[in-house]
Amino acid sequence: VDVLLKAVGDTPIMKTKKWAVERTRTIQGLVDFIKKFLKLVASEQLFIYVNQSFAPSPDQEVGTLYECFGSDGKLVLHYCKTQAWG
Amino acid sequence: MTDDKDVLRDVWFGRIPTCFTLYQDEITEREAEPYYLLLPRISYLTLVTDKVKKHFQKVMRQEEVSEIWFEYEGTPLKWHYPIGLLFDLHASNTALPWSITVHFKNFPEKDLLHCHSKDVIEAHFMACIKEADALKHKSQVINEMQKKDHKQLWMGLQNDKFEQFWAINRKLMEYPPEDNGFRYIPFRIYQATTERPFIQKLFRPIASGGQLHTLGDLLKDVCPSAISPEDGEQKTQVMIHGIEPMLETPIQWLSEHMSYPDNFLHISIIPRPTD
Repeated sequence: VDVLLKAVGDTPIMKTKKWAVERTRTIQGLVDFIKKFLKLVASEQLFIYVNQSFAPSPDQEVGTLYECFGSDGKLVLHYCKTQAWG
Repeated sequence: MTDDKDVLRDVWFGRIPTCFTLYQDEITEREAEPYYLLLPRISYLTLVTDKVKKHFQKVMRQEEVSEIWFEYEGTPLKWHYPIGLLFDLHASNTALPWSITVHFKNFPEKDLLHCHSKDVIEAHFMACIKEADALKHKSQVINEMQKKDHKQLWMGLQNDKFEQFWAINRKLMEYPPEDNGFRYIPFRIYQATTERPFIQKLFRPIASGGQLHTLGDLLKDVCPSAISPEDGEQKTQVMIHGIEPMLETPIQWLSEHMSYPDNFLHISIIPRPTD
């Protein structure tokens, strides 16, 4: 599944934005990965949003989100250190 | 004929008689009596078990108590799944009351999410509603609501106030007059036997020819193993809120009347009991 990561606000931007992720990877797994990549402390919060409208549950699989909310062959996810869309 | 609105009430007020027992390895100062409670099917474990927690904490030493978690026959129960779904999926064909084991130690990090406060439940609940509306209305209805409307949905659930909840939720169940239903149906299909957490896909309630898709159509499309061939024994039960709706039921109707408060149809596929 192709995932495109977009930073929100003053959250650091990932140098590589496009990633191929296994369908069964969870949102939590993705969060941990982004945190490592951005060298954030584990205790810092990171919020992920789909369609700039909802934050999926940490145990949700990327594959399911892609099937339901993907477009143009990829799933666009916005990430933010603070709550953006509630 | 039952009025459709009665279905909404029946769904909302469904209860499961439950017996909570403390895990035998938890260290207590006195014997812990089991605690009995009627659980609302539409709510979440961590939202309705404050009394359970208090009851068992009374017999335990302070230092032995950390985050509460629940388990049924060895399976940790995910608090972020609605109670009715957990029961239908794991225990629907067993004798009542539902026997749940209470733990305060060894939180199973791999299986369960943490729930440190009611805010976590509220955030999860609202996220589900938003995801459902993204499917039904491209998020238009939920985004047009004010913050206080969102709050009213949560308060209605938290305080078991049917009218308060549905005053707002009915807007999420509407659709433009020129359409005959939602854009896509928010649903999740769970099977206790598979590895996958659940099946969720895009599914339109109306066919291109204008006919209403049914529950049977949905299952054929996304989970064909749930429907066995024409004759022969039906090996599985398709259960929502403890009942098996007829497969001919229009999925649009089911979505409007038998969704959980999070606006999702949570459907359990379980083995049919053999007796």
